[in-house]
Amino acid sequence: MKDSLITVVRSLIFVIFALILCALVFQLAGYNAPVLLWAVLDGAFLRSGAIEQSLRWALPLFITAVGVGISFRAGFFNIGAQGQFYVGAICAAFAAEAVKGGPAFLVIPTLLLAGMLGGALWALWPGLLRLRSGTDEVITTLMGNFMAGLLLVYVTSGPLKDPSGSGQQASSRPLDPAYRISDSLGLSPTIIVIAVVVGILMWLLVNRTAFGVLASLAGRNGTMVEWQGARLWKLGLSSFLVSGALAGLAGTIEFMGPNGRIASGFLPAHGFTAILIALVANLSVLGTAVAAVFFGGLASAALYLPIMAGLPSAAIDIINAAIALFITARSTFIDRVLRLGGRKT
Amino acid sequence: MNEIIISILRSGTPLIYVTLAGVIAQRAGVWNLGLEGLMIIGACATILGIMLTKSVGAAILIAILACVLASVLLWFVIDRLKANPIIAGLGLTGLGIGGTALAIQSIFGSQATVTAPFGIPKLGPAFGSYGVLSVAVAAMPFVVFAMWVLLRRTRFGLRLAACGEHPFAARSVGANPSRMRLAALSIGGVLCAIGGAELAAGSLQFFAQGMTAGRGFMAFAAVIFGAAHPVGATFAALFFAIVGAIGIRAQLTFGDRIPHDLLQALPYLATVFGVWLSGKLRGGAKAASSFAELRDQ
Repeated sequence: MKDSLITVVRSLIFVIFALILCALVFQLAGYNAPVLLWAVLDGAFLRSGAIEQSLRWALPLFITAVGVGISFRAGFFNIGAQGQFYVGAICAAFAAEAVKGGPAFLVIPTLLLAGMLGGALWALWPGLLRLRSGTDEVITTLMGNFMAGLLLVYVTSGPLKDPSGSGQQASSRPLDPAYRISDSLGLSPTIIVIAVVVGILMWLLVNRTAFGVLASLAGRNGTMVEWQGARLWKLGLSSFLVSGALAGLAGTIEFMGPNGRIASGFLPAHGFTAILIALVANLSVLGTAVAAVFFGGLASAALYLPIMAGLPSAAIDIINAAIALFITARSTFIDRVLRLGGRKT
Repeated sequence: MNEIIISILRSGTPLIYVTLAGVIAQRAGVWNLGLEGLMIIGACATILGIMLTKSVGAAILIAILACVLASVLLWFVIDRLKANPIIAGLGLTGLGIGGTALAIQSIFGSQATVTAPFGIPKLGPAFGSYGVLSVAVAAMPFVVFAMWVLLRRTRFGLRLAACGEHPFAARSVGANPSRMRLAALSIGGVLCAIGGAELAAGSLQFFAQGMTAGRGFMAFAAVIFGAAHPVGATFAALFFAIVGAIGIRAQLTFGDRIPHDLLQALPYLATVFGVWLSGKLRGGAKAASSFAELRDQ
């Protein structure tokens, strides 16, 4: 218990440290830092309707981040959430074309499943390459992100192109409103239920199943787990597939919910933010939920800042980046202070 | 034909400079995913520097200073605070893209692009149709050669590789891996500044928010595809530039009849194939990082 408390305090210290650094940057850039940070807080959580908007962003991020946490736990550095998110949405969009006209209670689960399959598929090949040939998954999943981004450009300006669409951004034909799972505001009972179910299932998977325990051990010492008779191969591939499927599910929710279509280059920071959430939460499922609300708030503030406060939304990117810069730091100093009087390590 | 070569050199040169920055970091054992951020900082600082000082030389010096500072920040976080290099690098990239956007907005308001009155000097009519290229393009082969000498033929370069491959062994013969990484990242900062300067002021003379558009990551792919060898990675970057030029040409000639977007994925696919192959040949690539280590502290 003490350890988990220390983890929480550590994450908080780094986030606060990053915010102070950002305040300095904003001040140097000629903005009034306290006013800017207050506007961020206001846009994220305080103004009326802010919580709903923050949750709209938090729920898909939570789903992707839980998946990222699963693969990190197993010791696989899958940074391809963005690509898996895109491919999931693309597969769901193709499935939507294929089953057009069916009854909604059949079509909606089919599309969600198609999205999960798509995401899992985009995690399958880096997983296979890693486990069969030892190809580093950081490179394959990073390259996978760019390939998925180009695939998205291709399908939205080719096979799925909306002929009535105009302007800079190519986008797909809109989804039939009968199959939408939320309006454009993006918060609906369906999405909340999906997120809660995912959260409970993943919590059980991590904390109450042999898979979860073995995967965490494998992440710490794969050789030992293998010697004890566990199939590292199966364990690793499953964690890749679960993380891919969840990112794909999040992409599908964005497609079937708030967006109603897929557009080239939509939500380009989703995967990176999800990785940050998983790291800030130190890979715990409950922590991921809390961190997702925080980063969801930042995402909603990014839309609010330029319109309501006349401040640049780049401020949010800088806050995220500063947190990324420091969140994995292992400064022994902080630990020493936190453990003061505690057990020796 | 000349036209195609010019367009390849134009898009390839910034990429090659940034790739060399990635190569030197890679050899020191740092996977530098901050290249994208460093490049955009270099591009932005060059344009702002030109407007401020009315001198290209001073502007490039400012850009070098900014990029080296950012690189030292990355070194501090990775080396001193023991942060994960991949996440910290991505963080630096975010800081570069967000920071330059914020800087432009705070100076020029909501303006998306900033145009400088002049750019890096051109080669001039003495070089015929190649005269439209900037001097940074002409300097590029010499820089590649210098990097090859530095990394493969000097005591510093060999020690650097030793520090990257086996820091413990390097330390035992008196090298200081931490200081070597600082040197490698700082030199990388200089190269990223020149790459960014060439991108913004070579043939364009303007800076736009997010103008690097993934070139830094493509440079990282070239580092991996070129097995972190200065010449190999340069050819990888050149190959990527050629694929890009062919894609644009195909789009102009055939319109939407061939999927040029998918053609653009070729470099990334080639990189995956290259990493897989080198893993096969060398018997498994070394894992870059372990999160378990991070969790257990």
